[in-house]
Amino acid sequence: MDPAGVFAVRYAQDRALVRTRKQWLALALFLGALAVLPMVVGPRLIAVANIMLITGIVVVGLQICTGYAGQVNLGQAAFMGVGAYTAAVLAEKTGLSFLLTIPLAGVAAAGFGFVFGLSAARIKGFYLALTTIAAQFIFHFAVLNLPGSWLGGSNGATVPPATLFGYRITSDTSLYYLILISAAIMVSGAFGIVRSRFGRAFVAVRDDDVAAGIMGINVVATKATAFLVGAFYAGVGGALWAYMLRFVAVDQFTLFNSVFFIAMIIVGGMGSVVGALIGVFVIRAIQELITTLGPELAANFPFLGGDIVFASMNVFLGGVIALFLIVEPKGLMHRWNIVKSGYRLWPFPY
Amino acid sequence: MSHPRTSGLAALAAAAGLASALAVPGAALAQTTYGVALLSDYSGPYADIMPMLGKSREAVLDWWNAEVGAKLGVKLNYKNFDTRYDAAQTASLWPGIKSEMKPIVVLGLGGPDVAALGQRLPDDGVPLFMSTAGYGYAWKPDSWIINPRPTYAHEHAAAFKWLKAQRGGSQPLKVGIISSEASPAYVDIARGIERYAKDNPTEIQIVETVFTEVQPTDLTTQVRRLVRGGVEVITIQTNTAAVVATKRALQALNSKVPVITSSHNGLPASGKAAGGLNQMEGDYEAYGMGIASEEDTPARRFYEKLKADYKLAAPWNVLTLMGMSQGLYTVRVVEHAIKKHGAQNLTGAKVRETLYAEPVTTEETFGTLPTLKFAKEAPFPIEGLKVNVATIKGGNYVTAATNVDTPTVNKW
Repeated sequence: MDPAGVFAVRYAQDRALVRTRKQWLALALFLGALAVLPMVVGPRLIAVANIMLITGIVVVGLQICTGYAGQVNLGQAAFMGVGAYTAAVLAEKTGLSFLLTIPLAGVAAAGFGFVFGLSAARIKGFYLALTTIAAQFIFHFAVLNLPGSWLGGSNGATVPPATLFGYRITSDTSLYYLILISAAIMVSGAFGIVRSRFGRAFVAVRDDDVAAGIMGINVVATKATAFLVGAFYAGVGGALWAYMLRFVAVDQFTLFNSVFFIAMIIVGGMGSVVGALIGVFVIRAIQELITTLGPELAANFPFLGGDIVFASMNVFLGGVIALFLIVEPKGLMHRWNIVKSGYRLWPFPY
Repeated sequence: MSHPRTSGLAALAAAAGLASALAVPGAALAQTTYGVALLSDYSGPYADIMPMLGKSREAVLDWWNAEVGAKLGVKLNYKNFDTRYDAAQTASLWPGIKSEMKPIVVLGLGGPDVAALGQRLPDDGVPLFMSTAGYGYAWKPDSWIINPRPTYAHEHAAAFKWLKAQRGGSQPLKVGIISSEASPAYVDIARGIERYAKDNPTEIQIVETVFTEVQPTDLTTQVRRLVRGGVEVITIQTNTAAVVATKRALQALNSKVPVITSSHNGLPASGKAAGGLNQMEGDYEAYGMGIASEEDTPARRFYEKLKADYKLAAPWNVLTLMGMSQGLYTVRVVEHAIKKHGAQNLTGAKVRETLYAEPVTTEETFGTLPTLKFAKEAPFPIEGLKVNVATIKGGNYVTAATNVDTPTVNKW
């Protein structure tokens, strides 16, 4: 809904994502803030931002698959792992530039995800969730049992640093810009996808796949495409993760991570790209806050004991997530939309 | 008129200053402080063991600051950082730790720390000291991640050699491995033992490597296969749940085949889970570290000192001993570095260089570790390695063998 008095008089205006000057200004300020972030915050926050941006890419992919297309996906961490291993192997064995390994990692993960997308054509709900859990186990067992010379097996895989014109992208700041640019491209792409013919097909299939089929949408292809796109995002995120740590191992991509990704889109709001990013921000911020506060509390209140402080902090994290789900099960974006609508309609109640 | 009064005050102040300096001899020595980061897991999968491990390494640092560092003019400021045993959390924490504390050494906890920091530490110039045994996947030259113990495969290879000598005869010892593919670390341990068996067919013969669930409940079928294969010892280095399931299976099969565990799933912990220490009668645990038995040892006496003088609130067990050993070899290496390079301008790189230059003797670590002589070929000592073996005898947890030589295990 546009603010009162704002009308689209041309088609280009009507389909524009950023619709008013104020929105352009806000976007420019936001991007400007992201660009200068490393100059105004310390290394700890840059590292936190790096993790948030990578997780953001992965969770936006999950949002497309689950939030928009309605396909439950508990294998997003495995798809991320496929991307990470692909980037690691390509960089180590072929010496390809990160400019190629990152998209290729996305393609490899997309291929893996597509297989599970095909199974989604026949099953849904809990059954689909179980099938995607299988992706986690297949990834895990494949890495551990394939010949060690392929993926490193239990030894993991070392990743050479990303380099551009001889410059090693290893510092937190240089990695930040690499990840930020990648995230900007991927998030822009997500906005494009969800507004496209594919995005509308995703929503139609999510809302009623039978009705969508009757309307002429190829339901099988749509579901498979949703997995393909979601996994592509996870693969790109995985590749960036590989370049950040420069070491990948199978236990970095667990079912626990996949569950947390789901929690992020629930907290942020299903069916919203911005919601996915907000979910990532909120959950990671709480985790980081707890990690920072815990040692301080333990040091300043030694009578509590470190173990009690840290355990309580973990309970606090769970409690915050539970509270979000109870108070606003549709996610923070839903709450934001209510506030925004109220502001735009004010002083009228409807 | 005011002049004599001023002189009197100045004389009084000078006398007071002199008296203070004489009364506190340590105060005359300028103290240099260095940061030591403690990576911990108080809110992740190892939250239950962290209080014991964490408090013991903190107590060692307190002891060193008070009794050794004060004389050297150095204080090690330490701080815990909760990593949740998560590589992402460690990776996000590390830049802040580095800028905030400027640590000269980091005490790590496990695999996620290694994964997150392994490639960064050489650039950052900070060594990471672990408490656990090493892994095959981390067996790389010129490492900045240091383990005081050899790999788990080394430790059990030593125990197999000892068990074979106890049994007598020239036939290879028939070994069964119970492991899990849930973690690459578990797979790595199994692969290491398999490699040792392949290279030493006269020493041990693997009956079967059984990969089960990470927390198995019933292993009767698998253990029956091992028993039918003539297994003489079953090695389990995963967790206590696997030990309990194996013991239940052996009891069901009326078999007396001993089980051999590591430190993290040792006999007291497994016995507790199995319903009592007597359940583990005749079983073994083996690792390259002191044994937390009730016997009077230097390690035990040091523990009592920490408990009495430094408020160590942790029971005497293998986890406490593990934290003590980690803290002790860390402070000893720092101590060597101070003696070699001076108290000023100590860096992580200097600490690491000293680690390779000078061994840490078993006396310096109060017997919690054997004498450690590091070389750049591996992240753990590969020469002069010793392993201790404990068992349950008459329902008591006792040391069965000390300073058992570790055989050569080739890289796998």
